[in-house]
Amino acid sequence: MTDIQADLTRPLAVARVPAAARQRGTFTVQPWLYLAPALCLLMMWTYVPLVEAFQLSFYQWNMLPTAPQRYVGLTNYQRLFALPEMRAALWNTLFYILGLFPMSVIIPLFVAIWTQDLEGRARTIYRALIFVPMIVAPVVAAILWRWLLNEDQGLITLGLETVGLGRIGFLTDPTYALATLTWITGWKLIGFSTLLFSAANAGINPSYIEAARIDGASRWGIIRDIRLPLLSPTILLLSMMTILFGAQWSFAYINVLTNGGPLKSTTNIFYLLWEYGFQTMSAGWSSAAGMIAFAGFAVIAAGCMWLTKRFAVYDN
Amino acid sequence: MTIDASPDSASHASHGPKAGHARRVAVHAVMIVLSFLSIFPIYWMIVTSLRPENEIFSTSLWPSNPSLENYVFVLTRIPMIGMLINTTIVSAATALLQVVTGLFAAYALVRWRMRLSGIIHGLIALSWLVPFQVTMIPNYVLASRLGLLDTLTGLIVPNAAHAFAILLLYNAMRSFPTEILEAARIDGARSWKILWQIVVPNMGAPIASLSIIAFISAWNEYFWPLLLSRKPENSVVQIGLQMFMTQEGNLWGPLMAASALASLPILIIYLVLQRHVIESFMKSGIR
Repeated sequence: MTDIQADLTRPLAVARVPAAARQRGTFTVQPWLYLAPALCLLMMWTYVPLVEAFQLSFYQWNMLPTAPQRYVGLTNYQRLFALPEMRAALWNTLFYILGLFPMSVIIPLFVAIWTQDLEGRARTIYRALIFVPMIVAPVVAAILWRWLLNEDQGLITLGLETVGLGRIGFLTDPTYALATLTWITGWKLIGFSTLLFSAANAGINPSYIEAARIDGASRWGIIRDIRLPLLSPTILLLSMMTILFGAQWSFAYINVLTNGGPLKSTTNIFYLLWEYGFQTMSAGWSSAAGMIAFAGFAVIAAGCMWLTKRFAVYDN
Repeated sequence: MTIDASPDSASHASHGPKAGHARRVAVHAVMIVLSFLSIFPIYWMIVTSLRPENEIFSTSLWPSNPSLENYVFVLTRIPMIGMLINTTIVSAATALLQVVTGLFAAYALVRWRMRLSGIIHGLIALSWLVPFQVTMIPNYVLASRLGLLDTLTGLIVPNAAHAFAILLLYNAMRSFPTEILEAARIDGARSWKILWQIVVPNMGAPIASLSIIAFISAWNEYFWPLLLSRKPENSVVQIGLQMFMTQEGNLWGPLMAASALASLPILIIYLVLQRHVIESFMKSGIR
């Protein structure tokens, strides 16, 4: 459930409607009937649970229906902030996000600009191929890379040995495990991001480029002064998605491949929530950590929206 | 340098034909590397799944004696067919319900302008930003109270409405000419009739996009089934794969065969509807 709509950069408010179109004064029951299924489901499975999680964060509870919930005030939060685990998980979350940037934004951006002249059949074939990882299930992606990187007979391991680099414990060495998981997360995104940038790049009005060329602008000058600014909405959108959802995307890989190890080196905040909740059965801790994560990402989301409004260049 | 009249090389005036050629080669090289990176792991999965056991560690690009023994092993060892059927049911039902609840909600927001529309719209959009891991414990408790643990219903219902679906259909419906709606209303058509006879038939493209995306993401969904499932035969294929890997992690041939079977339906959809799938995802974002 990690998704975002490409239109999110647009103002979220409802379109302004002329006052005449509004039905003033009278309360109509019909729209509420249409809204009911969606709203009930969202309330039941998102908003009420959110409030309950907030409440739970002040309690101690081992998740057994028969066990009592004990009110402990802010203790859960205090404990969490004192725990080195929590700090390590937050750092790891940051590493995942930073590590994803080259694959979700930077490389796709330059590949898209570099390959913009491609046309015809070749273009269609490349498009079809680089999109594929996007629809591969995370569990399958995890298993595929586990096989390729397998320490005994994995193809990449064998290849590295032939080149004389020796064996690398991609998933078992704490130095590399997080980078490996970040790579797998990025593998699913890199082609899709490239396609998004290509589409945005192709949408740039060619007369701007032509005008700049006539004025004697260099190739790099055109990229810097025309293409990059006009691509800024897409750059900001993909950056925002990487920041907000990057750590969530890696969850499946952590759970399938490393269980947060070796030595907790791949545990990020979302995996920590899961561990506290469903492995050590401390609902209070999990909820408190969840609230911290939610609040943190909400602030970041607001910041990103503000940045997008402030800096994105739209061609009107 | 010879004069070249083609408009293409004229626009690359400073490069000349030779540099242009080198550039074209480099462009293809970049795309070939990227395509190879994207597709090779999947190719390797299929090749490995076709290798007999004694050849499993071979590095040849195609098995010398392709065999289906790994597939037979998987199908006899785990309830793969049952899980594939379960996953199809869950994904199709999720997609259908998301379309229906999304259509209703979007219709309500477009057709009636209520004082609370802004708040409702905001509430729907914000639900997107709540990470599932934050609400998972209350969700789990609710599901177990409702007796939904280890059931397909439990996998479908919490995903039956999604902010993404509502907003996608809302944005598509907003561009629907209001005059037509008004005219139908003046003719005395009920809102229900207008929805099904006028709005829905004109929303083919967005509904198809949404169905594709919802089906694929439901198929690939992992976290919620992980919480809910107990027995593999009551679960979806992602959970079956994960359980199989935990138990038989080093039986690479069968593991690859199981992964291939789990991906096959999605890959077939992609092969058939390739352009539509890419466009749906690109227009609507990441799922």
